[in-house]
Amino acid sequence: MRDLIRLLRLYAPYRRWIAGGIALGLVTVLANFGLLALSGWFLASAGVVGLAGIAAQNSFNFFTPAAGVRFFATVRVVARYAGRLVDHEATFRLLAGLRTDLYARLEPLAPLGLAADRGGDLLGRLVADVDRLGDFFLRVVAPFSIAAIGSVLMALVFAAFVPLGGVVLLAGLVAAGVALPVISLRLGRRPSGEAVGLQSAMRADLVDSVQGMAELLTYNAAPAMQARVEGASAALAARQGRLATIAGIGTGGNLLIANVTMAAMLVIGGRLVVAGRLAGPDLALLVLGALAAFEAVAPLAGAFQALGGMRDSARRVFEIMDRPVPVRDPACSPARPATLGLVLAGVRLRYPGQAGWALDGLDLAIAPGERVTVLGRSGAGKTSLVNVLLRFAAYQAGSVTLGGVALRDIRGDDVRSLFTLVSQQTQMFAGSVRDNLLIADPAADDAALWHALEIAQLADFVRAQPDGLETLVGEAGVRISGGEARRLTLARAALRDTPILILDEPTEGLDPLTEAAVRAAIAAIGIGRMVITITHRLAGIAEDDRVVVLAAGRVAEDGRFGALKRAGGAVTRLAALHDRLARL
Amino acid sequence: MARDIDRRLVAAGRGARRGLTAAIALGFAAGIAVIVQAFVLARIVSALVFRHVALGAVRDDLVALGVLFVVRAGLSFGAEVAAHRAAASVKLSLRRLLLDHLFALGPHYAAGERSADLAATALEGIEALEPYLARYLPQMALVAMVPLAVLAVVLRFDWISALILVVSGPIIPLFMVFIGYRAEAINQRQWRQLLVMSAHFLDAVQGITTLKLFGRARDEIALIGRISDDYRRVTMAGLRVAFLTSAALEFFASLSIALVAVLFGARLIHGDIAFFPAFFVLLLVPEFFLPLRGLATHYHARMNALAAARRLFDVLDTVPMVRWGDAAVPAGAISIGCAGLVVDYGLGAPVLRGIDCVFPAGSLTAIVGRSGAGKSSLAAAMLGFVAPASGGVVVNGAPLDTLDRAAWWRCLAYVPQAPRLFAGSIADNLRLARPDAAAPAMLAALARAGLRDVVMALPGGLDAMIGDGGAGLSGGQVQRLALARAFLKDAPVLILDEATAHLDLETEAELTAAIGDLVRGRTAIVIAHRLATVRHADRILVLDAGRIVESGTHAALLALGGVYAALIGSGSVDAAASCAI
Repeated sequence: MRDLIRLLRLYAPYRRWIAGGIALGLVTVLANFGLLALSGWFLASAGVVGLAGIAAQNSFNFFTPAAGVRFFATVRVVARYAGRLVDHEATFRLLAGLRTDLYARLEPLAPLGLAADRGGDLLGRLVADVDRLGDFFLRVVAPFSIAAIGSVLMALVFAAFVPLGGVVLLAGLVAAGVALPVISLRLGRRPSGEAVGLQSAMRADLVDSVQGMAELLTYNAAPAMQARVEGASAALAARQGRLATIAGIGTGGNLLIANVTMAAMLVIGGRLVVAGRLAGPDLALLVLGALAAFEAVAPLAGAFQALGGMRDSARRVFEIMDRPVPVRDPACSPARPATLGLVLAGVRLRYPGQAGWALDGLDLAIAPGERVTVLGRSGAGKTSLVNVLLRFAAYQAGSVTLGGVALRDIRGDDVRSLFTLVSQQTQMFAGSVRDNLLIADPAADDAALWHALEIAQLADFVRAQPDGLETLVGEAGVRISGGEARRLTLARAALRDTPILILDEPTEGLDPLTEAAVRAAIAAIGIGRMVITITHRLAGIAEDDRVVVLAAGRVAEDGRFGALKRAGGAVTRLAALHDRLARL
Repeated sequence: MARDIDRRLVAAGRGARRGLTAAIALGFAAGIAVIVQAFVLARIVSALVFRHVALGAVRDDLVALGVLFVVRAGLSFGAEVAAHRAAASVKLSLRRLLLDHLFALGPHYAAGERSADLAATALEGIEALEPYLARYLPQMALVAMVPLAVLAVVLRFDWISALILVVSGPIIPLFMVFIGYRAEAINQRQWRQLLVMSAHFLDAVQGITTLKLFGRARDEIALIGRISDDYRRVTMAGLRVAFLTSAALEFFASLSIALVAVLFGARLIHGDIAFFPAFFVLLLVPEFFLPLRGLATHYHARMNALAAARRLFDVLDTVPMVRWGDAAVPAGAISIGCAGLVVDYGLGAPVLRGIDCVFPAGSLTAIVGRSGAGKSSLAAAMLGFVAPASGGVVVNGAPLDTLDRAAWWRCLAYVPQAPRLFAGSIADNLRLARPDAAAPAMLAALARAGLRDVVMALPGGLDAMIGDGGAGLSGGQVQRLALARAFLKDAPVLILDEATAHLDLETEAELTAAIGDLVRGRTAIVIAHRLATVRHADRILVLDAGRIVESGTHAALLALGGVYAALIGSGSVDAAASCAI
């Protein structure tokens, strides 16, 4: 509930639109009520007058109620049309607001603050949750507000005629609009919870079926998998059948309550009419009005149902929004130093919620323009080193300086403007080749783009496409291979003239010829920059290259490759393994 | 188009037609009950207001009213349940059909970029049919029937009101068609735009780290705002028209009620008509328009369902290319041959352009070549996943397409480049290879794959859950689990696609040893990326642009100084020595 209240607060900037939507919805409901109630009264009055003779006919004001009927009819149509427009306008504005808000909150968290606890597509689910919350107003807030205000107003109208009638109407509306949905929801809690579980199990099996089809077929396990999916499908249908039964009871019950309320008006009003304490036409008003009143609470069953999902979505979204920001930025950055040597001294880094130190007293100095290869097994601290340098993670002890300035005194964006990272995680965006390149440098002209593509050895490929730079990549466009995608990220790197280049396993997963092309591209891009290459392989390291070996979060070895190979340490061991594999 | 889809959908479920008919019949009966209820109600009101009788005098009518309430509630309940039953049977059989068909189409069709979409179609796509089948279709039938029944009754009591309904009734569908055509086009366009916009947002969220690296994440916030804003403007312009459809409906419905009421009023004042028929007809007029209004509310369900159904039938209408026979695999050690094998996916040049080769029984053949040379397609043809355009694969002299597919697959173990772990325990994943395998056999297989100690260290051992939500295995461990599966199956033929992912040197040494153990004594075909593998191969086939350009042993091919030598020599000398082929 707290999450929903917080969600409402998020909606505050749009309160005018929301108030407008609710007001128009209310007018629509009341106009319908007015139309039917007044019509009933009008017919009955006219009938009474018709029987009473000429004098009464002449004194009867025909035009005011007739105009009222037409007025309600028109207002209903106009209010409904305007209401739907305002509702959707409000929803779109809300969704846009939610998305930009969320993105602004995610940006400081990325990437470490957005790590999923275990597997799962955290970001994909987040996007789906936000899309759902965009409907919160339309599907929950508006129906509840309209039903609450409308019910009270209509009951007051009834009470003006017959106090008991007002009470009964309100009771009927509450029973149909609140009690019945709440009971249905409670009855449906178990089957719908089970349905959710079955659906996710079935989704896992379906994804397994599609993505693991080759193995399922060759192991002749497809029939077993099909049987499993079919079993889950039937079990799901059984739960849904139970839910449909509950829904059927809901609709039937709703109808019954509306009708019984109407019949109650008949009895209450009928008694008063017989006793002469209520005008006959007023009875017609009560009967028809009672039937029309239930339009106000009809959407509540759906609203109650949506509420549960909204609450879960809101909880998940706020959980992410509330995550602590991994790195706090200073207010402003000092002037950029003239030379950008990198010095790490005694750096210790521990990720929140983790027991061990990811970096545990790391000492490393790299001069401007120097090339360093960082080796180490997974978990040795290679990625943490990158996270510290790019200001994605805050270190707890030690110091990192860039050209003599402490890294934590520089704003994260300014730090990152000095680095270019090439890794296999670099994302391609749906759009053209040009769009994907301009991310690196929005001001680049065509000549610069082609030059970057030349360096990345991708110019021939792009030139061969009919649309050239406008060639679409990603799901809607041409399928580019892993090697082409890697070279596109290299072209991005070539566009950014930063003093420091970090290459994180740059040739991972490429075939040998592509790997050769990528290595050549990297050599061209690295000219005149500090280049830090992170790898766990010895391929491509020359004898006099500087090699740094990380182990358990600190530097284990640091020196020329040739010398370390003979030093009897980790590099010696790796080189021996390497040779053994080569001979195997 | 939509009608064809309806027919196919309804035909898919056993008893679905009957269920839908029942739902429609119950809905129609409920419509009749409404008319009767209005009749009784009008009698009661008329008696109370104009004859000032005591309630006791209308007791019978009141009791009838109560009975009608219950009947109506029952009918509405029954209609809901019947419609759901029909939809459920359609969904069940479509899901079964779809999965059957996907397995028939094979991994070449199902894997890759399409895979996420296919899983979504099989789950959410088929679920999206429910509101359409259970609500929209019955409502569609009632739209014609209930108003006609109402009209017939109204005509019997007051021809002027009937005239109003006759005039406004047909005008509504006409109007809806007029505006609806345009609204539908606008709606479809918006639907697509909405998807594009959502995709952009998803793209931006998933690429947030990349954008941040380039210092562009904050610009993206403004961009998302701007795109959403543009979308809102365009959409609202469209919706202004689209909503006219329902506004027209509301207009005529409200106007008809008002007109009927006012005309009755005028006639009642002059005593031209009695109150009872006037009130009865007034009660009926809203019911005349009710089914139409119901139809409008299910419009989105219809759009969703039709889109899903189209995707579904796209898959079901794709004809499986691979043919199989029912012959047993000829006995004896298995050798495989390819004769004039051409594979053409119909995208540009054929991927295999006449492959002639033999994989002798009990020998290790390595297939090498740069990516796109056709290595995977050659393996797929031998596995029976793709159909040759001409030529074919021969197993011990029997053409592959005459064999029983299950029998052929029983003879081989296939380890793909990226092996799949299935949701379940380690034992579940191993038993895929041999459903009756006991724990000792599984542990032996794990031991040969070098994974026994890792598994024993997991909480639960063989019963440890892996896959989504379970314990994570590293890339090297997944590879070794796949090898363990192949060990457990112990088939005479092994087709293995080596991983290209760079692994730790330690891991790689272990994997290489396990693969060396696995290929021994089998007819082994390995798409090789590691030097160790090719060195040990009895023969190497070098593929380039869909043809075998060289074949021989490692030493012979190096001496030849052709494509193979270039492949080995590419990159630095060191790279060649380490791993990469």
